[in-house]
Amino acid sequence: MNESTLSTPRRGVPLWAQIIIWVSLLALLGIVAVELNRSQQGQVGRGDKISNFTMPLFSGYELNGQNQFNLADYHGKVVMVNFWASWCKPCEQEAADLEQAWQFYRSDGRVVFVGVDYVDTEPKARAYLAKFSITFPNGPDLGTRVSQLFRIKGVPETYFIDPQGILQYAQIGPFSSVDDIKSIINPLLK
Amino acid sequence: MVADIGYGVIFIAFLVALYSVGAAIYGDRTKSAGWVESARRAMLLLWPLISISAAALIYLLVTNHFEVSFVYEVISRDMPTYLKITAWWGGQAGSLVFWSWLMSAFASLVTLRKWDRDREFLPWVIVVTSLTTAFFLALVVFYENPFAEFWRGPDGKLIADASGNAIKSMFAPMLNASLAIPTDGNGLNPFLRNPGMIIHPPMLYLGFVSFVIPFAFAIAALITGRTDDRWIRITRRWTLWAWLFLSCGLVLGSRWAYDVLGWGGFWGWDPVEIAALMPWLTGTAFLHSVMIQEKRGMLKQWNMLLIILTYALVIFGTFLTRSGILSSVHAFAESAIGPAFFTFIGITFVGSIALLIYRWPDLRGETEMKSMLSREALFLLNNLLFISVLVVCFWGVVFPIISEIFTGQKVTVGPPFYQTATGPLFAGLMLLMGVAPLSAWGHSSLKTLGRAIWKSVIAALVITIFLFFTYTANPIALVAFFLVAMVILVTLQEFWRGTAARMKAQSENAFTAFWRLVGRDRRRYGGYVIHLSMMLMAIGILGINLFQIQTQGTVPVNSSLSLGGYTVKYDSVAQFPGPDGQQVTRAVVSVYQGNNYLGDLYPRIDYYPTEKQNMTIPGDRPTLKDDLYIILVDWQPTSTNGATFKIFVNPLVNWLWIGAIIFLFGIIFAAWPDRDAERVPARSHHIHQPDANQTGAAD
Repeated sequence: MNESTLSTPRRGVPLWAQIIIWVSLLALLGIVAVELNRSQQGQVGRGDKISNFTMPLFSGYELNGQNQFNLADYHGKVVMVNFWASWCKPCEQEAADLEQAWQFYRSDGRVVFVGVDYVDTEPKARAYLAKFSITFPNGPDLGTRVSQLFRIKGVPETYFIDPQGILQYAQIGPFSSVDDIKSIINPLLK
Repeated sequence: MVADIGYGVIFIAFLVALYSVGAAIYGDRTKSAGWVESARRAMLLLWPLISISAAALIYLLVTNHFEVSFVYEVISRDMPTYLKITAWWGGQAGSLVFWSWLMSAFASLVTLRKWDRDREFLPWVIVVTSLTTAFFLALVVFYENPFAEFWRGPDGKLIADASGNAIKSMFAPMLNASLAIPTDGNGLNPFLRNPGMIIHPPMLYLGFVSFVIPFAFAIAALITGRTDDRWIRITRRWTLWAWLFLSCGLVLGSRWAYDVLGWGGFWGWDPVEIAALMPWLTGTAFLHSVMIQEKRGMLKQWNMLLIILTYALVIFGTFLTRSGILSSVHAFAESAIGPAFFTFIGITFVGSIALLIYRWPDLRGETEMKSMLSREALFLLNNLLFISVLVVCFWGVVFPIISEIFTGQKVTVGPPFYQTATGPLFAGLMLLMGVAPLSAWGHSSLKTLGRAIWKSVIAALVITIFLFFTYTANPIALVAFFLVAMVILVTLQEFWRGTAARMKAQSENAFTAFWRLVGRDRRRYGGYVIHLSMMLMAIGILGINLFQIQTQGTVPVNSSLSLGGYTVKYDSVAQFPGPDGQQVTRAVVSVYQGNNYLGDLYPRIDYYPTEKQNMTIPGDRPTLKDDLYIILVDWQPTSTNGATFKIFVNPLVNWLWIGAIIFLFGIIFAAWPDRDAERVPARSHHIHQPDANQTGAAD
């Protein structure tokens, strides 16, 4: 590109420059290939072992007084992970049902609910939680790490992990009733 | 039946495209004009063939053939006919047909031109355009077939795969299967039912597709070794039209976001927006740097690189949107076309870079840069700034992926990153817009530039000081407004200087002189109009980014909210069915400024039951000073009829839309075909006989 440096006629691109060009081109294609491969995997499925993750929880929505949720701490319990967002209208359909289900299971102690607020702002998320009087633990999905782990495609989506840490059920879209939720959790408690 | 015809014809078109590639290569190798002509005719056949297939698809859409999977996915019975037609590009499979259809139209146009002097380019232009068309047709034929149908087994049940998804296929998947015809379809995404959204994708596609033509000529020039500026002269207007369509697509997309997405903004630095902006950036750089090659015989290597990059970014952007690799408001549903697309990108990119490296020595410049203040040097600087913006954008898109690979954490870079990183670069571009038109080809000095610019600079300073006392003390805003004022003044001065020179030399009146001046060099003065419009757009962008204010509140009926001198009173709310099957919740608010009643606005929420989706449509009141933008966030029918509103005051934003309209006008003015577009004076005349306007400050 710099015209003045190319003084001798028919001098091509120097070898070192060619190497740099090809290596960076291949690196770029490689990166895209990796990402493409990842996006082709689809969602996590039934029977997958869910690897451990931690996430912060909103103040006022802690779990056992802890402001961090760490999946490994709840090994031996049924964990329900619900992805939602304050801008998500279908989420509102199931919000009250989720809270009702939580009230049903919280004293039992064998079931843990955690809500993951996906791509949202905290004030809006808090307004949403208050609007539906939600009390179970909730936190923001910082850097979309948790949603990446589950490879969710949208909200709401809900994942049920059994006491062995294996994914047993994935609900895509909202629940229609509290019995819907119970019918998934109850078999996992046996 | 109609579906079978549509699929059959598209399959034939695919074969014809492949034949045309093969025949063109064979014809070139054997120096056989007959084979090349055969390839050309095959390429001309593509558009009629794809049109038949498209007509079949539209017929199926309009007549509610829900057994066809694409029809089932994108329309429902309650949609009006025009939306059923435009649903053609409302889903992945259909829009690939649409893309191929546009591509073949452009390919036909280019083959119909006179080829007398450029015969040796023809086979390779055919190869590139037909190969690109064949690729998109292959996606339709093998991966995303809009004509695939649902089937029902002899037992009457829908035939599905192991995980319960209905199988879609062209032919009966088992013996005695019959077509399964659902009673209604899913319907078109409500977001796509806006008039702006109906034209936005075609405009972008047109821009994308028409950039293939300059690329095809560039590749032909590289292969044949005819690396002079012939290929640039042939494709100059194509590039301008491509740029027009792409710009139009971006502007419509922004306007749509402002009208429909209801977040009070027009540009969110969404990865897909960036994917469409990136080819625009390289395309804009290309439009400027080709002028240096035409006038000075320089930057040949650079121009090749830019057009290759533009094409690669067009394909890459399409790939990002369609492979499901990104999550975004624009993303299509998950699709299997990713790997095929990836292969195509790899082949075209590696192929064109290899060709460029091979021809690199032949692309050396004919002259050298003599002055850092010459117009070519400033144009080069402009190019480097555009490329820097591109690098920022590209990094923003790729960095989350890289970070995920190396650290395992996905980070997303938000608008603040892009704004901070590109802000100074855009300011640099504005400065150049002010200075470059005054510099001369070949040689300029600080003295000649200073003499040309000082009046405008002082006037711009006066305006800035005035703004400091009357409007804002924000330093970023003041610097930006100074640049805007300077560019506008310099540009107007250029119009005036040329007109005055003509009035004196030709003794014409001001109007005739002005008319002839711009008419004689429409590319130059069209370019200045575009610069002016860019400045108007900059005013709008600065206004909304720096001075936007907002508030949110829940109020009962007859109470009001205040913001930025406006008082908004909540009068009533009503629910009624909309024309498009949606449930409309519409609030009526009255707007006051002080005690002045300004009128009513109607923010509303449309709920689409079939798609279970809400659309928030703001009520807005545009003026040149600001835009009052009201969103109905929520309402409670029971608790004393309270409703929640979000109110934005977006200062100056309407200058963005005014600027955009002038901008499009400027491009059309510059790109409109001459009576004899091909007859361009040879370059040497341009250098040695510069007229008064051409040299600007040097006179």
